[in-house]
Amino acid sequence: MFKLYLKIAVRYLLKNKLYSFINIFGLAIGIASFVLIMLYVNYEKSYDKFNGSENVHRVFMDYLEGGEFVPGDANAYIVSGPTLKDEFPEIEKFVRFRRIRNMVVLNNNTPFDGMVGSLADPEYFDVFDQGLVKGDESTALSKPYSVVLSTPTAQKIFGDTNPIGQPLKIAGDDSVTFTVTGVMDNTNRNTHIKNDVLVSFSTFYTWTIFKNDWNYTWNQNEYYTYVKVAPNTNAELLNQKIMAFVPEGFEFKERHHLEPIEDIHLYSNKPYEVEVNGNGGNIKLLSIIAFITLLLSWMNYMNLSSTKSLERAKEIGIRKVVGGKKSQLTFQFLSESAMLNCLAIVLALGAVFLLLPAFNRLVGQNLGFTGNQFKGLLPYLGIMLLGASLAALYPAFVLSRFSPAKVLKGQLQTSKNGLHFRRALIITQFVATISLLICTFMANKQIHYLKNRPIGANLNQVIALKGQILDRAYDSIFYNDFDVLLEELKRNPYVAEISCSRTYPGDDFSNTNSNIGITFPNGHTDETHIWYNYGARPGYFDLMGMDFVAGGAYLPTPEKRSHNVVINEEMVRFMGIDNVNTIIGKTINFWGQDWAVKGVVKDYNHFGMKSAMVPMVIRHDRTTQNILVKLDKRATTMAGADKALDEIKNIWDKVFPVSTYKYTFLDQKFEALFNEDRKFTKAFQIFTVLAILIASLGLFGLTSYTCIQRKKEIGVRKVNGATISEILQLLNQNFIKWVGLAFVIAVPIAWFAMDKWLEGFAYKTTISWWIFALAGMAALTIALITVSWQSFKAATVNPVEALRDE
Amino acid sequence: MLLHLKNIFKWVNSGGQRVFLLKDINLEVEEGEFISIMGPSGSGKSTLLNLIGMLDGFDEGEYTFLDEPVHTLKEKHRANLYKEYIGFVFQSYHLLDDLTVKENLEMPLLYKKYKGAERKAMVADMLDRFNIVGKKDLFPAQLSGGQQQLVGIARALISSPKLILADEPTGNLNSKQGEEIMELFKQLNNEGVTIIQVTHSEKNAAYGSRIINLLDGRMI
Ligand SMILES: Nc1ncnc2c1ncn2[C@@H]1O[C@H](COP(=O)(O)OP(=O)(O)O)[C@@H](O)[C@H]1O
Ligand SMILES: [Mg+2]
Repeated sequence: MFKLYLKIAVRYLLKNKLYSFINIFGLAIGIASFVLIMLYVNYEKSYDKFNGSENVHRVFMDYLEGGEFVPGDANAYIVSGPTLKDEFPEIEKFVRFRRIRNMVVLNNNTPFDGMVGSLADPEYFDVFDQGLVKGDESTALSKPYSVVLSTPTAQKIFGDTNPIGQPLKIAGDDSVTFTVTGVMDNTNRNTHIKNDVLVSFSTFYTWTIFKNDWNYTWNQNEYYTYVKVAPNTNAELLNQKIMAFVPEGFEFKERHHLEPIEDIHLYSNKPYEVEVNGNGGNIKLLSIIAFITLLLSWMNYMNLSSTKSLERAKEIGIRKVVGGKKSQLTFQFLSESAMLNCLAIVLALGAVFLLLPAFNRLVGQNLGFTGNQFKGLLPYLGIMLLGASLAALYPAFVLSRFSPAKVLKGQLQTSKNGLHFRRALIITQFVATISLLICTFMANKQIHYLKNRPIGANLNQVIALKGQILDRAYDSIFYNDFDVLLEELKRNPYVAEISCSRTYPGDDFSNTNSNIGITFPNGHTDETHIWYNYGARPGYFDLMGMDFVAGGAYLPTPEKRSHNVVINEEMVRFMGIDNVNTIIGKTINFWGQDWAVKGVVKDYNHFGMKSAMVPMVIRHDRTTQNILVKLDKRATTMAGADKALDEIKNIWDKVFPVSTYKYTFLDQKFEALFNEDRKFTKAFQIFTVLAILIASLGLFGLTSYTCIQRKKEIGVRKVNGATISEILQLLNQNFIKWVGLAFVIAVPIAWFAMDKWLEGFAYKTTISWWIFALAGMAALTIALITVSWQSFKAATVNPVEALRDE
Repeated sequence: MLLHLKNIFKWVNSGGQRVFLLKDINLEVEEGEFISIMGPSGSGKSTLLNLIGMLDGFDEGEYTFLDEPVHTLKEKHRANLYKEYIGFVFQSYHLLDDLTVKENLEMPLLYKKYKGAERKAMVADMLDRFNIVGKKDLFPAQLSGGQQQLVGIARALISSPKLILADEPTGNLNSKQGEEIMELFKQLNNEGVTIIQVTHSEKNAAYGSRIINLLDGRMI
């Protein structure tokens, strides 16, 4: 019996190819977008979820900024963890990480670079629920000079030899030898704090690369600190106590604060984050879009299939008259629906598999159906099955309820309720479509605005060279060689200018010093606001194309460093000085030293376009952190750039044969700061197009429904003199009205959403009226094209067909 | 002469075969005539009427309407011609269910570019003439079949056509209502309107001045 139904269903789907295609296609688009978005959303939500993660919190510092506490630093102090644990019995364990960036590991003098490492407390394995594949968790990080490697790192350094017990050195101080005590498999770990190498925290107190920090307690916060609280702790209450707690010897206008580790990736955006985090707002928006897309595609399916059912009314009437039972009919239509939905799901999953690589490239993730990511989808699978069955039931239900007498008399055409339902659906769809269009246009405008906004510095053709020199033990030798390198580079024809700086616009937060406490020339000391500084050589300003509004760059000195500084306009405003010229030559005081202001540079965006302007001081320093190279015009072509990079690398290798080397194009790095937003905008764009496609299918369905319904009316009007264009107008004007209504509803929604979204940016483009007009016009055009396809067919039908009296 | 059909053939292709719907139709109609077309079901009466009404084309022959060669006219010109000169009446009235009597009457005028005031006057005129002023705000479903057909005829007449084409106008009515409609046609005919109707009833056919018999698409 079931086989028979299936056979009939297949035959029906094949016979109505266009209908089946549109239906399956529409559903498949909805399901595929849903799965893709949810994979992405789930991935973003899965950060730092592990066994016990609900009890793990990060300790961060609130700064007093203009009388109010604001999240000021994702780091805490070296003593924060131990002090809090002693003070609060709820806190069972703590783990501190001191990041070791650009770590270079030496195995028998062979360097391995490109790893991130941390000093870590031995509780790491327990707090982060991380096991070891080799080694013993309870002792692995206990003794000084122990290291734990991730599986890929162990593989990279030791190949197939067992790493446990092997000696290693770490560049920076190669007089000490470390021992590998563990290998951890964290490749599938989705966390905001990624580690390839862990060094036992106890190493800190004797390892000379940290010798400057040995005496610090409440002086230096560079420690990402995580605490594990007892199960069932009231985190809110604990937080209140911790915020009110002032440890002994702690005299800053700061306080400790906890945040759940699970929330960090999506909801934390503090200075000195471990990495650029995701954006919870974007994720929420995307999930909403995912559900709307799915819902719309189901509603469309109901819409289309019940429309189609009108055409089948006769078949049903006849089946009923010849004795078809209601249950049998229901079953027949149900099998059709089920088959169609199954096909759509299969097609959608196929599409997801095919599109996943492209989607991954687009959003810069590595999503897949592996383990956890797939498990995260399972609850939605339930929703999908439920929705699909409801959607499948609806037409079967409607169809089997037709009364045969009415059907055979052709009285089915007028179902007002059905029409209202469809009308509401279409308006909703267009509200969604127009809102999405407006948001897409706005988001693009914003990205465009940020991209084209002057940075205040010219990053084009500027590269930063960075490397770790592994064989120069003594500073004097190193500095000597470094100067040789600079000279050699300067002589190269591809190099237009050269300088050095500790950091540069678009670089990581952590390479800039943040400070509180500065004395202005008038003697006033500010102790409540954050300001920033970094060191750079005198040629830096020229090379970066920064303009001075007063004074100029500090001049070179024989010692290559001095107590001269350049400040930005924001710093001048911060000091409350109106005339920038008056500050030149004046003295400011910080770090217990006097500094002479030599120049004021025009404000430039040091931390990218998403952050507001900050007060900045640039010190005359002999830094060797980054060699900045402005390439000559010859290097603007692709081939020229390749050649230039080659020659620069050769010069570097000649001077520092045993070293690591990395170059960065500054403009690319600067733009990468809004990669997240660009990705989001792209994803948004794609799903907007898909939502429009689905909405168009819905409109198509409704038009065909109305055209069937109004067939007679169209005939009568034509016979009474209506032209094709008048009929088109009649059929289309309602849709135009609906799009208009949808537009009116969509505008405030989109306005509100975009206003909220723009809040995340320090520099916002304007919400222009033409964006709304453009979105409205686009939606209207799409609607008209979709509708006209059907209504033109209906308008050109010979009225004789419609009016034939039986 | 109002219209002239000369050697008209109409066919459809079915399974590679020509199926003739009309064969060699020759017909001259003078202004002021009242013609009845008769014949068994499926003999091509409606087809012929639609052809005369320019709703349907033909495959061979010539059709002249008020000295215009219809078969060579462009679609738009042809539409203008029937818009101006021809009114249609149907067996099942074909009133628009969502419009009131008044709005149904006004509808054809909307497509003929009359001004609002003119339309109002013309509708009022028609309501008066057919004694249905009291029903002007009712919907078709609230009227009897005879009354609906009355509205149907009033709608066909509203822009003063020269020719009324009626396809079994009394087919859905009882004999008394049918008689009333026929009387109305007679009266309109006396006022100078040319009428061509399709009917199955000898009695109704007798109202006309001439009867055309069709059998298998051929005039006999
Ligand atoms: N477009 C068409 N295609 C095929 N057959 C048609 C078409 N129009 C009419 N016919 C056929 O032509 C014959 C005449 O139809 P019709 O003029 O409606 O007859 P009558 O009105 O005399 O009952 C019928 O058999 C009908 O099925
Ligand atoms: Mg007929």
